[in-house]
Amino acid sequence: METRDYKGPIENSIEMAIEKIAELLRYDYYLSPRSIAILLLQEDDGIKSLVREKDIVNFNRISEIVADTKKYYKNHISYELAVGRQDEVSDIVKKTVKFGKDRISLGERLSRLVMNPLLGIPLLFLTLYIGLYKFVGQFGAGMVVDFIEVRVFDRYITPFAETVTLRFIPWKFLHELFIGEYGIVTMAFRYAFAIILPITSFFFLVFSLIEDSGYLPRIAMLIDRTFKKIGLSGRAVIPMVLGFGCATMATMVTRILPTKRERIIATLLLALAVPCSAQLGVIMALLQHNSRAMLLWAVVVGSIFLLVGYLTSKILPGERPSFYMEIPPLRIPNLSNVIVKTYVRVKWYFKEIMPLFLWASFLIWLGRLIHLFDFLINILKGPVEAIGLPSEASKVFLFGFFRRDYGAAGLYDMSTHGKLDGVQLVVSCVALTLFLPCIAQFLMNIKERGWKMGIGISVFVLVFSFSAAYALNMILRSMGVTL
Amino acid sequence: MKPAVIIPLTKLEPHKKAKISHIKTEDNATLQRIIAIGALPDADIVLIQKFPSFVFQIHKSQFAVDKELASCIYVRAV
Repeated sequence: METRDYKGPIENSIEMAIEKIAELLRYDYYLSPRSIAILLLQEDDGIKSLVREKDIVNFNRISEIVADTKKYYKNHISYELAVGRQDEVSDIVKKTVKFGKDRISLGERLSRLVMNPLLGIPLLFLTLYIGLYKFVGQFGAGMVVDFIEVRVFDRYITPFAETVTLRFIPWKFLHELFIGEYGIVTMAFRYAFAIILPITSFFFLVFSLIEDSGYLPRIAMLIDRTFKKIGLSGRAVIPMVLGFGCATMATMVTRILPTKRERIIATLLLALAVPCSAQLGVIMALLQHNSRAMLLWAVVVGSIFLLVGYLTSKILPGERPSFYMEIPPLRIPNLSNVIVKTYVRVKWYFKEIMPLFLWASFLIWLGRLIHLFDFLINILKGPVEAIGLPSEASKVFLFGFFRRDYGAAGLYDMSTHGKLDGVQLVVSCVALTLFLPCIAQFLMNIKERGWKMGIGISVFVLVFSFSAAYALNMILRSMGVTL
Repeated sequence: MKPAVIIPLTKLEPHKKAKISHIKTEDNATLQRIIAIGALPDADIVLIQKFPSFVFQIHKSQFAVDKELASCIYVRAV
């Protein structure tokens, strides 16, 4: 292999270097010595440390050859090799492949429309509205969840578990663990199978459809410029969109982001300002009769998302994100592919999330057993009153963290009993959106980001949510806004 | 053949055909990304759009890249 404009001495050429290095390699790396030599010349970090470990005797000699060869080339060796390969490929293609006339297909025309910012951005919002809000939110999280929860769980599974537990377990304090308000059957299983399973199934179905149509890279490309301002690249659109389904799952998906810095920013934003479908459901229900309040809520949360992202990207050290992505042709999704993908993802997600729910159930059981909760509710009363809400709302925040429907139901009751005015409604919705989403996400933050960062992010979210709600309450009150 | 002007991809007009002349970057990570895309000298390239990201086609493949990456790719209009 040689590049066409190499003018140096033949003994310093890449081809000679490959041969010399290959001869010096003694250890069996499974790959051919030639491949290892090429990787060493490209300064592949993994291979370099492997060879340093396995070929101790010759490693220094090999490093010298790499350094010598580099001197004779203007560009990085990996670049020279890529150009050499490209030339070879072009030669073969020229001799063997005939190309038809270039014409712009229907798919390509559609692709350009989708990527055109004037049309593409409204289309993006429309897709999110129909796919996420209408289908996943209203149909999946609303109708289907209602059905499974009320018709299946409340009618058959919970009574059955109650009978079994009461008959076979004589100790009363253990009953709570299984069938108490936050028990393993009544909360962990019910939450997992009646709420999370249908929502994530519908969500993954929509996600797989969007993915298989080739739309995802086009969304990434439309949004990259905006995301750069908050320290992310277009690639982060995947975890962010997933966050509207379930932020716990989205936190797990931040693994696809290339740098640690991007993963931290994405985790923080998901914990703080991306409402999951359960949160969205509650907030929509609370604000549905007050469109001005809903608009204000959306503007406040959206601004906080951008502001916190912007500030974090200024503070966190590290490389700026880079964006590059292949744009595959638009295709009509293959139904069986979509179904298999959805199934595999739901299964994978369940395996990750189920232990977290069981843990949550156990921790709550323990917390109630030692009266930790009364203590925490008392602590929360101060901040809750400070943001202008009645003190009984502190229960909503604490239990919302463990079991969202319960916490939200409390808020809903308060609002229907006329205990909350418009401003209080917006303030509590903003606080609830920003507040720690749920215990599963809290545990996922620790699992993905480690103890220090996971707890750090959670403490920040806790303090920030109340500070922001406090400031919002002050501003709205001093301006005399009524909603 | 008269020598054509060499410009960064960011300055190329959309829908004009060009050939990549060279890649200019000091950053190895950036270089690796460009190699992965296959934006190498002599490849034919057509810029499809510039905003909000740069989209171009090389052979039969399309790529979207940010401005920083696009400005490392130098082209010669044909």
